[in-house]
Amino acid sequence: MRGQWTRTVGNRLRHNLTTRLIILLALALMAITGVNDYTRLVHEREQLVAQTQEDERIFAETLALAVRYNLRRGRTTDELTDLLGELVARPGLVATVIYDPDGKVVAQTVAPGAEAPAPDDLVRQSLTQREPVSSVMDGPSGRILRYVQPFRWPAGRAGAIEVQQTLREMERQFRRAVRSTIVSRLVVLALFVLSIIILTRWSIARPIRALVAAARAVGRGDLGQRIAVPRQDEIGELAAEFNRMAENLQTANAELVRQAEERLRLEQEVQQAQKLAAVGMLAAEVAHEIGTPLNVISGRAEVLERAVPREHPERRHLDVILSQSERIKGIIHALLDYTRPRRPTLRPEPILGIVGRVASILMDRSQRRGVRLQLDLPIGLPLVMADPEHLQQVFLNLILNALDVTEKGGVVRITAGPHPELPTDGRTGIVRGKATAPTLAIHVIDQGKGLAAEELNHVFEPFFSTKGHGKGTGLGLPITEEIVRAHRGEIEMLSIPAKGTEVIVRIPLADESPAPVATEEAAEHGH
Amino acid sequence: MAKQQSILVVDDDPEMRALLLDVLRNEGYDVVEVKDGTEAVLALRARRFDLILMDKNMPGPSGLDLLPGFRRVCPDSQVVLMTAFGDVPSYMEAVEKGAAEYLFKPFRMEELKAAISKALHSDVQSRP
Repeated sequence: MRGQWTRTVGNRLRHNLTTRLIILLALALMAITGVNDYTRLVHEREQLVAQTQEDERIFAETLALAVRYNLRRGRTTDELTDLLGELVARPGLVATVIYDPDGKVVAQTVAPGAEAPAPDDLVRQSLTQREPVSSVMDGPSGRILRYVQPFRWPAGRAGAIEVQQTLREMERQFRRAVRSTIVSRLVVLALFVLSIIILTRWSIARPIRALVAAARAVGRGDLGQRIAVPRQDEIGELAAEFNRMAENLQTANAELVRQAEERLRLEQEVQQAQKLAAVGMLAAEVAHEIGTPLNVISGRAEVLERAVPREHPERRHLDVILSQSERIKGIIHALLDYTRPRRPTLRPEPILGIVGRVASILMDRSQRRGVRLQLDLPIGLPLVMADPEHLQQVFLNLILNALDVTEKGGVVRITAGPHPELPTDGRTGIVRGKATAPTLAIHVIDQGKGLAAEELNHVFEPFFSTKGHGKGTGLGLPITEEIVRAHRGEIEMLSIPAKGTEVIVRIPLADESPAPVATEEAAEHGH
Repeated sequence: MAKQQSILVVDDDPEMRALLLDVLRNEGYDVVEVKDGTEAVLALRARRFDLILMDKNMPGPSGLDLLPGFRRVCPDSQVVLMTAFGDVPSYMEAVEKGAAEYLFKPFRMEELKAAISKALHSDVQSRP
């Protein structure tokens, strides 16, 4: 029900533009032609009246001549009446009357049903002034045109003849003209409206409907939608603009999808690397535990080997012990090689891209934990010599740690700059690795509980964790340290108990980086 | 005959110590063994050694922890560190802190002898 209602309203709205246009144009057309027709009809009516009057004048004059001729011959009034009777056959003639100079009716003929005229002021006026007079009067069956024509009466006096003619015929003619005008106007109007409807459907409604359909498709997610409107007008422009917008949307969407895929890939890589690193740490531990006893076995065998001559029958037992020791060593080597992160390939890289990517990966986690992750890195930092994948793991470990130890509502900040951000008061620190070249320092600062000096000394050892059981593996920092060292950089951890911890990673600058920050940084390092 | 060159072996594993003692004595060195850092410090207080052969991983202070102090107290004693193989970061740190040589366990006795003679050789050269 509701859907149907909305559809009806929608239809009305969709047709609104056309309807309004039609009503407006039709009204304008009607106003213009109406004024024109009105003046034309008024003029036509005047002409018709004038023509009837002229007809009547000629008829009256002719009649007056005939009457005068007959009077001069001494015809009686009866004869005159007969004469008039013959003339009444004229269509539209209501009455014909002959008046003598005294204004008395001499002879008359009256159409059936009409009123017999009597001499009045009009007749007397004509008789005294000897001028033809005409007027219009209302009769019982429509308007009547009267015409009084004086003529010469014998003995130098003037008589008059009156002709009364109905205007019914003229008025019928006029009404017919009005009717035909209205009909023709209606036909023109209908044709006009029809042509506008067709025109608007063709040039506005149809392309707009195509636009609406395309916009709906785009809204549903079909971003490949385009409109073909090969026109140069506003509609064509709108379509072109729409196509451009859809194009931009498609590009932006593709970029978003690409970024999401890239992030997923990166996360998987980091997870894989962490897994491998964990196995690697375990392997290293095993290697260390096995190393000493294995060394004792092979060492003792070597000592014996020197004491037992080569040709001794039991010498082969020693050879087997030695070769099997080598075999164990080989197995552990292979395991370590497999799990050890490959050597980084260092190249000039912008640090912002590396840290930024890690921050974007951890943004969700930080929001879930209610910790604000604040990236305060200026634009235009110099390039560093780095392997982005390895260095990403460094910042991933550091920021993860920082997020884990910071309480809800706290802030984890990432900054750049030569000096530590933590105040020196009550601060202890530890540095691993040693950078000999000018470096760029990135700081990861948390608002955790901080570490005591004693804890700080062990944080870079494998399997040392301050997070408690089941939370951290204790592998993050040793791996981080190893990667930073492989970058020929250094990592410094500063902490104030109950205040927080700051980790500073210093990575050597790329030689060719000309940014002013680089020289500042280099100068700072020189002191 | 020249004075015997002296070596202090620092390792927490008794079997490893016994092996090193046997091999090095057989090579003609004057060898003293201790089981950890504390004993090593005591031994170094009592006399000087030409070389300290020390395990990196030990209970208490590790070989890497002890190294800087040893370099300070007895700068003319060369230090050879031993650790599990694959421990590259410790190697880099050890070199930084002034270890003369580094051995990855398990090593061959030939490697041990070569490393020790090399360390002692550089020691001779470094003296004025």
